[in-house]
Amino acid sequence: MEILKFLWTIFYINLFTIGGGYVMIPLLQREIVDHYHWLTNKEFIDSIAIGQLTPGPLTIMNAFIGYKVFGFWGSAGAVVSTYLPSIIIVTIVSRYYVQFRNAWIVNASFQGIRPAVMGLLAAVAITLGKESLVDIPTALIALGSFSLIAFTKTSPTFLILGAGILGALIY
Amino acid sequence: MKEISLKNIFLVFLKMGAFAFGGVYSMLAFFEKELVQKKKWLTHEEFAEGVVIGQLTPGAPIVNTGIFIGYTLKRLKGALATVAGQVLPAFFLVLIIAYLYIKYNDIALIRSILKGIGAAVVGLVASVVYSMGKKFLTSYKSISFAVIAFLCLAIFKLNPIVLIVISGIGGLLVYREGRL
Repeated sequence: MEILKFLWTIFYINLFTIGGGYVMIPLLQREIVDHYHWLTNKEFIDSIAIGQLTPGPLTIMNAFIGYKVFGFWGSAGAVVSTYLPSIIIVTIVSRYYVQFRNAWIVNASFQGIRPAVMGLLAAVAITLGKESLVDIPTALIALGSFSLIAFTKTSPTFLILGAGILGALIY
Repeated sequence: MKEISLKNIFLVFLKMGAFAFGGVYSMLAFFEKELVQKKKWLTHEEFAEGVVIGQLTPGAPIVNTGIFIGYTLKRLKGALATVAGQVLPAFFLVLIIAYLYIKYNDIALIRSILKGIGAAVVGLVASVVYSMGKKFLTSYKSISFAVIAFLCLAIFKLNPIVLIVISGIGGLLVYREGRL
């Protein structure tokens, strides 16, 4: 059953999404695009945009991927597989949170993981760039979106909408 | 204090799930205002704990902070209510968008819109890298972790899950300060 394989993949990806929702992007790209070929890189970029466009967490993009590949049940199943690891782990941690938060093991490993996931995301930004930045206008849109988010308080939702309008006008 | 019902927890998180556009920080501000200042379900300290726990556990930090809060208020049922509330509005929206996306994907106008959006996504991911870098690259050690992880993925195409596990173990060894 292909769909079970998909749901299991989403489950373990979320189990290793440590250090922020964006960390999911390198993991998804590896499994969903490169390994199983459930999506092309272009469709993958579209799913990030949709995750960003909707309110709430970016990780809802898994529901879009599920729908794209397996229809409604893929989508509903993806939601369960996405949040099940969180529910299991956070409820366990909540009982012992003071010990957990102060455990040096947790803090030391996070000091390694945080910069590392930044490096992973940088590598993914490059692959996505190769796919999306095909001419001068797209390069300018990317530069503009980078600057707006990095240096101002623009909401990503408006950014995505604005870029969509620009795309419609230019092409 | 008034009894907090599951329905109330669900409704507050539903409101957040429906209106919190614009990423993690706007959501955290929203949480703080609703739960600490208006409803007084939590103290500032409990809320701050929830934020830390959300970041130290796998998955979307904002959802995890919600689970922590729900669990603190009403155990497992409370936790489930927060997830349902936070996720349902976006889920329905995604279903609609996905349906339209598949149906109208090959229309030229939609392709040009997506072309613009795809470029913006690259800038967006780059800005996340930038803000993570500002926060986490504080020493030669952390810079080495970032550079090594980058090279392992970009050039050697190693599995990112394996890299996350290795960097965690690496963090233990480098930052153990004689404890291991």
